[in-house]
Amino acid sequence: MNRLRLALPAGLVGLVLLAAWLLPSLLPWDYRVIDWDHVSAPAATPGHVLGTDSVGRDLLSRTLVGTRITMMVAIAAAFVSLIIGVLWGAIAGWCGGKVDALMMRIVDALYALPFMFVVILLMVVFGRSILLVFIGIGAVEWLTMARVVRGQMLALRHRPFILAAEAAGAKAGFIVFRHALPNMAAVILAYLLLTVPQVVMVESFLSFLGLGVQEPMTSLGILVKEGADDMDVYPIALLVPGGVLVTLVVCLTVLGERLRDRWAA
Amino acid sequence: MIGLVLRRLLASIPTLLAVILLSFVLMRFAPGSPFDGERPLDPETRAALDAAYGLDQPIPVQLGRYLLHLAHGDFGPSLVYRDFTVTDLIHSGLPVSLTIGGLALISALGGGIMFGLMAVLRPDGPLDRGLMLSMTLLTALPTFVTGPVLALVFALWLGWLPVAGWAAGAPRYLVLPVLALALPSMGAVAKLTRAGLAQVMEQDHIRAARARGKTGWRLISHHALRPALLPVVSYAGPAAAGLLTGAVVIETVFALPGLGRYVVQGALNRDYPLVLGVVTLYAALIILFNLLADILYGWLDPRVRG
Repeated sequence: MNRLRLALPAGLVGLVLLAAWLLPSLLPWDYRVIDWDHVSAPAATPGHVLGTDSVGRDLLSRTLVGTRITMMVAIAAAFVSLIIGVLWGAIAGWCGGKVDALMMRIVDALYALPFMFVVILLMVVFGRSILLVFIGIGAVEWLTMARVVRGQMLALRHRPFILAAEAAGAKAGFIVFRHALPNMAAVILAYLLLTVPQVVMVESFLSFLGLGVQEPMTSLGILVKEGADDMDVYPIALLVPGGVLVTLVVCLTVLGERLRDRWAA
Repeated sequence: MIGLVLRRLLASIPTLLAVILLSFVLMRFAPGSPFDGERPLDPETRAALDAAYGLDQPIPVQLGRYLLHLAHGDFGPSLVYRDFTVTDLIHSGLPVSLTIGGLALISALGGGIMFGLMAVLRPDGPLDRGLMLSMTLLTALPTFVTGPVLALVFALWLGWLPVAGWAAGAPRYLVLPVLALALPSMGAVAKLTRAGLAQVMEQDHIRAARARGKTGWRLISHHALRPALLPVVSYAGPAAAGLLTGAVVIETVFALPGLGRYVVQGALNRDYPLVLGVVTLYAALIILFNLLADILYGWLDPRVRG
């Protein structure tokens, strides 16, 4: 039972990712190509398992490629947040005292900002580059990671093995990276997993508003937006990408929470 | 208490200034201008427009002027909606956003606390497990998916409620947007209530009350609920902020004339005063909500009054 609680969400995520990476190249229609003979085709049209959208592009292929792009953006942004958060938290926790107080004050102040608006502004400023989309998202999602790492670092700071390394003359950076951080790797990984669904949400939110990923590239947020526009005639275009998005977010959240409870306890 | 409130209000000034500064600088670095239209303006008109709105001044001067006007409660003119000031637009949009957000907050708290209570009455029973699983699912639902799906099911297929629109706040038009906005927070509140109650039920004062023969609902409502709701209260501040942000999407999905869409539209149109005004207002509201949550926390938990 316990094993299943982890295996089920992990398996679902794995299945979706596998499909998103392998299937598109096997499908007869590319996600950008317009099939002039089948515009707004219903599901189960020959060649289009899920039919096509209002300009004749294959929905299955678009959903799979959209999933891939959403996940790539999410993983990259989670990585950016990992680097900033771990460095910030580790430095604050290691130095302690005034440095710690100041750095954590900054984190607290940033928590109070209306972040979605800052992200919206960032998107407007840096134009429509997908690279900057995820750097921007990662740059605002690191706060929780910083708090967690700082808490762990404070707990480890006076443990004998750290003191021993210090007494042996090891440099601070060496101790932090070789002794302290590996010691909290499990907790960091759990919170990294929890960051991914959050970033998926932010990316889809931005793309839904037309500020994130831009055509001809696609992402789950764009597909949900397109589906919502045509839902009166063609509900499947909303339900399929929406379903994939919800499945991914739910499974990743559940997975992250269960691993966090297991490892951080 | 008053000292605490004053101190918190003073401490919020730097945060607010930081928000204004950040938004101001970001907007000005963005390429493009509010006067870019289909046809380029001739240079003289362009220069006259820039001068009229003070955009020809150096950025620090513009910022100083903006802050000075802001201190007098003047958000400035909208650069794109030409005949309106930002204050006009806020006056028309804010009531809509606050109605939707406020109703969503109330539904999230009411529904969440109710489901949390239902779950904890029989801990680890089938109802508890089922409810908590559905609440976890709720927290992960993005509003821009639930919104259209709810509209699809309840408006297009069943025909019970209107698809979109505002209609001067007629209740029928409010149900779907409020529900879509409230669901994720409702899940979070239910989980917090459940966890808080489960923790409180282990404590000595509950054991003492049990020993005096109190059981079931009376035990929970008179002895356990107040301390158990503390996590919910500290979540309410950030939740209110999240609902305001979430309203941006909900207003787009349901075509509501709220404030949120001005952020997106204004940012795309480079309507600097509009975006700055709305972002500043939202930041102030978020700070206010967090303060209110802290005051409520102090009222519920005498230990933190100090």
